[in-house]
Amino acid sequence: MDHRRISFLLAVIWTIVAVLPLFFGGTNFIMHILIMCLIWSVVASCWDLIMGFAGIFSFGQVAFFVMGSYASAIISAQFGIPPIFAVFIAGGITAGIGILVGLPCLKLKGAYIALVTFAVHMILEPVLKGEIGRAIGTGGTRGLLTIEPMTIFGYTFSTASPVPYFYLMLLVAVICSVIILVVIKSHWGTAFLALKDSQEFAACLGVSAFKYKLMVFALTSFLTGMMGGFYAHYVGMLSTRMLGIDLFVTLMVILVIGGVGKFPGAIIGAFITIAINELLSPLGPYRPITMGAMVVILVLVLPDGIVGLFERLFSKKPHDITH
Amino acid sequence: MKKALGIFLILALALMPATALWAKDTIKVGVPLAMTGPYTDTGDNYWKGIKMAIDEINTAGGLLGKQLEPIRFDTQEFAPERVMQGADYLCGQIKVDSVHAGWAGWGQDVRAYGKYTAPFFADDGSQSAVDVFKQNKEEYKNIFQLTDTGINQAQSMFNVLMALPYEYPNKKAVIITADDAWGTEVGDTLEKNFKEKGWEVAMHELVPYGTNQWGPLLTQIRRIKPAIIHVEIVSAQEVITFFRQFMKRPTDSILSYGYSLVPREVVETMGKEADGLLGEVPTAMPTPEAPTPEAQAWLDKFETIWGHLPQAGSWAAYSGVKAWAAAVEAVGDEKNHDAVSDYIATNGYKGETGWWKWDEDHVMRAGGDVPIAHYQVQNGEMVAIFTDPPTKPYKNYQFQVPRWIKQ
Amino acid sequence: MVIEIADVIISGLINGSVYALMAVGLTLIYGVSKAFNFAYGSFYSLGGYIAFLLFGLSFINNYFLVFLLAAPILLVFGFFVEKVLVAPLRKRDDWEIKVMMITLGLALFLDNSFQVIFGSRMKSLPPFLEGGFEGGNFYLSHQDVGIFFLSIGGILLFRWFLNNTRTGMSVRAVAQNPAGAQIVGIPKEFVFAATFAISTVMVGMGGILLAQKYFITPMGGWDILVKAWVITAFGGMGSIRGGLYAAFIVGMLEAFVGWYFGMTWTLIVLFAVLLTTLAVRPQGLLGKWG
Repeated sequence: MDHRRISFLLAVIWTIVAVLPLFFGGTNFIMHILIMCLIWSVVASCWDLIMGFAGIFSFGQVAFFVMGSYASAIISAQFGIPPIFAVFIAGGITAGIGILVGLPCLKLKGAYIALVTFAVHMILEPVLKGEIGRAIGTGGTRGLLTIEPMTIFGYTFSTASPVPYFYLMLLVAVICSVIILVVIKSHWGTAFLALKDSQEFAACLGVSAFKYKLMVFALTSFLTGMMGGFYAHYVGMLSTRMLGIDLFVTLMVILVIGGVGKFPGAIIGAFITIAINELLSPLGPYRPITMGAMVVILVLVLPDGIVGLFERLFSKKPHDITH
Repeated sequence: MKKALGIFLILALALMPATALWAKDTIKVGVPLAMTGPYTDTGDNYWKGIKMAIDEINTAGGLLGKQLEPIRFDTQEFAPERVMQGADYLCGQIKVDSVHAGWAGWGQDVRAYGKYTAPFFADDGSQSAVDVFKQNKEEYKNIFQLTDTGINQAQSMFNVLMALPYEYPNKKAVIITADDAWGTEVGDTLEKNFKEKGWEVAMHELVPYGTNQWGPLLTQIRRIKPAIIHVEIVSAQEVITFFRQFMKRPTDSILSYGYSLVPREVVETMGKEADGLLGEVPTAMPTPEAPTPEAQAWLDKFETIWGHLPQAGSWAAYSGVKAWAAAVEAVGDEKNHDAVSDYIATNGYKGETGWWKWDEDHVMRAGGDVPIAHYQVQNGEMVAIFTDPPTKPYKNYQFQVPRWIKQ
Repeated sequence: MVIEIADVIISGLINGSVYALMAVGLTLIYGVSKAFNFAYGSFYSLGGYIAFLLFGLSFINNYFLVFLLAAPILLVFGFFVEKVLVAPLRKRDDWEIKVMMITLGLALFLDNSFQVIFGSRMKSLPPFLEGGFEGGNFYLSHQDVGIFFLSIGGILLFRWFLNNTRTGMSVRAVAQNPAGAQIVGIPKEFVFAATFAISTVMVGMGGILLAQKYFITPMGGWDILVKAWVITAFGGMGSIRGGLYAAFIVGMLEAFVGWYFGMTWTLIVLFAVLLTTLAVRPQGLLGKWG
């Protein structure tokens, strides 16, 4: 898709999302889910940027999210830094860790990167729960049960009235999606396309795979960590239970439904996936079965997700083909 | 583009949950439990108790003439936002008049449900939940814990270990716990107690869930030859593999499993092989013989409905529903949540074994008519041999020296 | 002290043999088709549950029969999964990620189906050997010895298959040079499916072998997947010999770290070693088909 179409689609999505509180503003439960949708949409878009565009099989997305959330909560609690600044510092810390992980890892091949980044996910839990974690103030196995709520210009956002936080998150999500769009359509994006087509050829032309990969890794880690911070100050408590398989799978399903490498598919995917998840919730144990079956069928039938479907619908008109 | 927009709008509309029209004359009861993921089995135990209580009330004509209608919510793996969503859904959206949970988030739940007014019953058994409660007793006054904290349960385990009619060959103990909040709470309390009594805690290990190769630890244990080994990992796979690998070359040690004796598979899988293991259940209905005729009748009824003996939590969750129902009857209005909570806090509830009383932290402290029961596996079934506090032998059941101890 | 260390070594050896069996199947698929199978752990549980069902039948009373009956079931299942789910994706540019996604969906589907069908409580199988060797402070159970030799035997059998049968040789040919193999008339599609099926049998057999010691739970496969994955990468993806070495190194490492530093450190040390190895040798210990 060309950038004008993506921008248009983004504008449509965010406009629809922006008016949702008119219908659901009175229902905290749904507003809460919508806020989570916004958070996951950014996290999933970042993952899509890494996996779909940069072609790096990073499985550390949840880990970076959790790192950011803990970092922000700890910084605001221990140094008295207001949450609104703490989330950016947390993003910076996460980006730093991202670079540390990326330096050895991005030289590896596909499945190895997946392993190393997933390893970061796996060790994060024992680290946060263990002696190291307790020393830096993660609360060990108990987790953090009191996290300062977000405050901007003296206004405190609370979970009791989620609409203001929804708009704050919407603003953040819009900014993040614009950043991602700019990246995709900039020199970087072109470089990645070249790298994906032929790494050797691109390298001959002077495109340094490593440099671009590290930059995109740092950027997505920053955004993901920052979102983790926003999550922490919204929910007000943290535990290592986010590192279970559930969140990881949900994010993966978001990408499947939205379409990998089909930005802004991940954003649409986030809203649809979370909605389906909630609608299926009364089914109890049949919910994950249905989700699993849906992923299998969707990958086969709709390999490029919702956005791929859109593209297919449009490309019926020959003059609309854009490549 | 229009086509695409249409599709998108339809999908956006799918977000609206189908809020069915509820019948007017029911009282809705929220039941947030794990229905998927690793905690499914525990969730199931609580559900059996809750379902039994609700059915009982409904068959008897309902509460204040209205039928109870359980609304279930899947808490999955208790991620913070999931716990909060449960509260917002049940209390904020459905507007239930009480919430009956089991394991509910170990403190996260107090925050999430404390925002609302509907009486909330949890079985967290954790000091962190109590600590959160203490921060704002007024706001959290609708929160009730059905069991005592891990600290007090561990204290009770220690009391019984010291009261066993058995002479320890030495004063060395080994503590192995899971690296979760429950495990560390119990482990630390036990260690403190052992040290105060002049015992040596020769090894205190935290292990992650999923550990099933105990070779390295058993090697150390065989060198230490402790008089007591306490294992606290509430998951059958871990404790059974530990026991089987221990039994290959056992030391003369009393094996105390604490709450880890509870997963039904431990006794079901091992049968008589498990004979000799010790364990505890808080807020327990002692088995095989209940303390009172009413309690015995309850046990029999549970077995008829579900086809097996109740597991830890079933009776506690059942009693939570009954306690709330009794309070609603007394207040006369299920919507007056504050009055119902106050009634429960001040009056307690008379159950099958006697009185339930919540303390000022809204914790159902062990003791009185609802003590902690301590079991030993004998002849392939859990047999209550002690109750605590106060520490006293239960009926005529006797502690048996485990077969692996050579004296 | 000597006995203690001997104990730890034995524990490491037995773990290592089990890990080796788990890792070989995964490394095989990756080596041949570059596909990463996220449902690998679920196939492990599937093996256990098939054995559990078979033991429920009245005429089945020993492990030999169970292995005999379970193998073809797993083989057909694996073949079917490859043909229906993985093969159609190969045409695409981004098929690697699509395969990961579809197998993740399959894992989710299978694990939760197990939970609904068999319940969340664990299932156990009868032990296939009782008793053990005893001598003073020393004890080694027949069960562990059996697991060790069956695992090693399984891997040797598999190596023999690769080196001495026609199908095995085509598998190696495709792994080394897919295009070349096709030119000389080796049916690539069939080899991909066959490899997938064989690896399913191997991990499923591992599931049966281990279920009698470690039990079967619906989500129990994830640990296996992660372990097998670490070992595969450590040894070099696609290298069977590398996988073997890595499995025993990891087994020993776990045993010694657990014994000396404590069980919570095993995972951290394991990944530290893995990262160091990959930093020095990005292709793993023996990162070539061998």
